Amino acid sequence: MRVLAVFLLFGASLRCRAQESPYFVTYDHHLEEPGNLEIETFSTIGVPRSGQNAYVAPYMELEYGVTARWTAELYLEGQGTAGDSAVFTGWRLENRFRPLKREHRINPVLYLEYEDINEASRIQKEITGIPDVTSPNAQLQPTKDRELEAKLILSSTVRDWNIAGNFLTEKNLSRDEGFEFGYAFGFSRPLSSLASAQNCRFCRENFIVGVEFYGGLGSTVDGVGFRDAAHYVAPVVSWQVSENASIHFSPAVALNGLGSPVLIRFGYSYEVRGFGSKLAQLFGGRR
Amino acid sequence: MRVSNRVGFLGLAACMALAAALHGQNTAYQQDPNWRAPQEAAACANPLAHKPEAVAGGQKLFHRNCTECHGEDGSGLIKKHAADLLLPAVQDQTDGTLFWKITNGNVDRGMPSFSKLPELQRWQLVLYVRMLKQDVALQATGTKK
Repeated sequence: MRVLAVFLLFGASLRCRAQESPYFVTYDHHLEEPGNLEIETFSTIGVPRSGQNAYVAPYMELEYGVTARWTAELYLEGQGTAGDSAVFTGWRLENRFRPLKREHRINPVLYLEYEDINEASRIQKEITGIPDVTSPNAQLQPTKDRELEAKLILSSTVRDWNIAGNFLTEKNLSRDEGFEFGYAFGFSRPLSSLASAQNCRFCRENFIVGVEFYGGLGSTVDGVGFRDAAHYVAPVVSWQVSENASIHFSPAVALNGLGSPVLIRFGYSYEVRGFGSKLAQLFGGRR
Repeated sequence: MRVSNRVGFLGLAACMALAAALHGQNTAYQQDPNWRAPQEAAACANPLAHKPEAVAGGQKLFHRNCTECHGEDGSGLIKKHAADLLLPAVQDQTDGTLFWKITNGNVDRGMPSFSKLPELQRWQLVLYVRMLKQDVALQATGTKK
């Protein structure tokens, strides 16, 4: 029942994302347009192995284009496990900076995030090791994880394909777990390169499809490598349902026996254009 | 006579400035001298130049991606410091230059990169920006008649 309550709380406010990256984990070099606010709700459903319980981990993102080279995001996340409980699992503040002015063959973006979450977090926006999906929430929630995370995002546009790779490192400030590492890699393209004349929902240009791969690379404490970490491959699709909104879906399949065998991810986002100037107007600022 | 001409000219200029201000048109737009397309990019021809039917898709894309700053008619909103796309300073640029500018943006002046759009869609936008000029010319002809 509580799982359903958490799901409805976040699901009811479902709004979507303008046609952008279809990835759930991988970041590309496209930032939010300055002054625009994107309100996004996503969920990760974990399909259980034997001995595990199914869970749903919804999260809300508020993404704002501070400048054309800086995007900031606030995350609020929760989690509900069947046969257990529903809990709030914390918040994250993320910043992405684009150091280069122009488009290049490879476009770097620097990413810095502060996380104030607990061990019950299961949104799996990044994977560095093996998420604990078996311990009860009552045991996991009191353990705080205040973490700093940095990513190097490299992304290219080759014809109509986007190819993006991310390398991440994470440091838990709450206790010494060394530096943890992870990766994400993806490629995607729209189904049609040309925009049709009609304002249609089901036009091919409104769909972007691709694949992403992500997983952990160990830590300085347990050793760096592909072993002892979950890895996933995930087809991704996004559908722009209106000018401001899009729906995203991705079933991720585990490539080894660690973590959940399948993660079903879906989300909806809505872009408020000119949010910054509308807010300034509201408070009597410059139009 | 000359004095009355001068007064008339100043009056006309003031009226135009007032009309532009009321309309929000950014006629005072100054190009960024550092925002220049490389020669190779500027020389690129629009692959859709002989497909005028593609302009309708360009209009849709313009409405979706550009009107927030450049306005519905492309005249550029002063509050956004956005270019008036009807000005000769913009229209005299080559298709390749416009394509390069849409692709790269000018992040220091707040113009984002639109490289997330497929290449042909960016060329559709160039087609539509050209069409804006023709629309204004047609409107002007209609007004005179």
